[in-house]
Amino acid sequence: MSRALRGLGPLTRAYLLQSFRSGTAIFWNLVFPMVWLFLFGFVFYRGNPSLMMPGLFTITLISGAFFGVSYLMVSEREAGILRLYRVTPVSALTVVLANAIRAMVVLSISVGAQASVGWLVFRYEVTGSLVLTFFIMLLGGAAFVPLGMFVGSVAEDMRSAPAISNLLFFPLVFGSGAALPAFMLPGWLQSVMRMIPSSYLVEALQGVMLRGYGLAQLAGPIAVLLLTLVVGAWVNSRLFRWETSEPLDKRAMLTAIVVLTLLYVAAAMLAPAFEMIRPPGAP
Amino acid sequence: MIIQARGLRREYGDTVALQGLDIEIEAGGVVGILGPNGAGKTTFVETLEGLREPTSGSVSVLGMDPTTQGKALRERLGVQLQKTALPTELTVREMLELFASFYASALPSDSILEKVDLVPQADQKAATLSGGQQQRLVVGIALIHDPELVILDEPTTGLDPKARRDLHGVIRELREQGRTILLTTHYIEEAEHLCDRVIMIRDGEIVADGTPFDLVGQSSESSTIWIRVDGPMDPAPLVAAGVEELGQQGEHHKFTTTDPTTTVLALGDMLRSQGLRLVDLRLKRPTLEDVYLELMGDVPEDLAEVPR
Repeated sequence: MSRALRGLGPLTRAYLLQSFRSGTAIFWNLVFPMVWLFLFGFVFYRGNPSLMMPGLFTITLISGAFFGVSYLMVSEREAGILRLYRVTPVSALTVVLANAIRAMVVLSISVGAQASVGWLVFRYEVTGSLVLTFFIMLLGGAAFVPLGMFVGSVAEDMRSAPAISNLLFFPLVFGSGAALPAFMLPGWLQSVMRMIPSSYLVEALQGVMLRGYGLAQLAGPIAVLLLTLVVGAWVNSRLFRWETSEPLDKRAMLTAIVVLTLLYVAAAMLAPAFEMIRPPGAP
Repeated sequence: MIIQARGLRREYGDTVALQGLDIEIEAGGVVGILGPNGAGKTTFVETLEGLREPTSGSVSVLGMDPTTQGKALRERLGVQLQKTALPTELTVREMLELFASFYASALPSDSILEKVDLVPQADQKAATLSGGQQQRLVVGIALIHDPELVILDEPTTGLDPKARRDLHGVIRELREQGRTILLTTHYIEEAEHLCDRVIMIRDGEIVADGTPFDLVGQSSESSTIWIRVDGPMDPAPLVAAGVEELGQQGEHHKFTTTDPTTTVLALGDMLRSQGLRLVDLRLKRPTLEDVYLELMGDVPEDLAEVPR
């Protein structure tokens, strides 16, 4: 392995071992998604389980990316574990990538468990391609993990990390059609929805899972998610901190916020109306 | 020269942590940085490690600039930090193997386990280790790549006497293998027994530098002399030679002197002229602790830590 990435494999493995051995990690990554699944399946979406799955997967990806990733980064930095890595030749890039890969693996397991248990219990249907469904889920994870890491880098400590994560979590979940069906939301919120990153994931997942759309029909939301991934990856390469006492690259932080805002303003203005605001069965 | 600092200055806002240190350290041996909390010990070693940048002045470690050549430097430098934590869910062996993977070449983890005496704990998670075992593991991690220079920041603080002695054994072994060890401590007896050279710093300045033996010799603190003789003694000749009489302690006469060598000679003359025989002579030279207290005397016991 090249020198810049030396130790990536072992560090990723060590991170994964820690996640698999930690009771709290297992609760949040495996038990918690099941709670959402059964709450949705038995309470909110009785009789139409297929409708709920795109939103559920989105919620799992968002909560994993924000709470899982940002908390781990902040607590590892706050405890001084990152300092221990800092005095070795391991690069910041290696630590960032190992965190990202760990997050992707853990998210895949969370979503995979939710998908399998959900299918066994509720027998939901996927109209479109399973491969494309899988690809969009991965892309959604890859777009949100850097945002969670962004929070992890910006947050000063374990008191501010939950505050920032919650501040972002609620609009991402409740303003996107992930938790509540978009067609039930008031008109003004349907407009705001177009500015919220997770809406594009819900739209893409619904497109393939409910409407059987192919890649070409979903190019718009996929492009938005890809661009989010690119901006997120860039800003993380600039913001990573070994120690909280290190200065935060405020210019990179503001640049990323401005670029993301412009991206979503442009998407909101240019993209055609979301299909998810039409009630199912409507023409 | 393995470490060279010139005019090394570090400020944190209005606080000056290091006020222009000039230090040269040659390869080989154990060098101790001794000073009270807040003296600048950690700032100094963390500057050597490249964790902090000097405000002004220059520093070179193993011929490299720690700020710009950190990666290359860390291949050859072993560091134990004062403030750190271990990932709790990994075992001792897993942790050593993880850290080994960060270096171009590393020792087998078994040899480190033996060196720091953690063979029985190899498959235990870090969270279940005692304080002393965790500290030995952190030192073991610092040694995994067989570094030429090892910097230990208060390696024995908070350890019980047995754990401290074990760690001293590890440090002595490194010294015998020709490594250079730089350690900070506020335990004076640790510096006295372990270090070939002691650099005392206070308020970010060097106040003493030398072997423990030489530092004690340079002290202006007085020595105490007790003598017991076989008859009545008139101490006037000793007092005339500048010795201060402190009266009797049991059957011993007690004196203090800043020049014990001359005093002993004067004592011999006095005994001969008074026809007395010396039954017992005890001499207490100042210790490194006396030298330390003399130099640090008015430093408050628990000066607040310098902000990071």
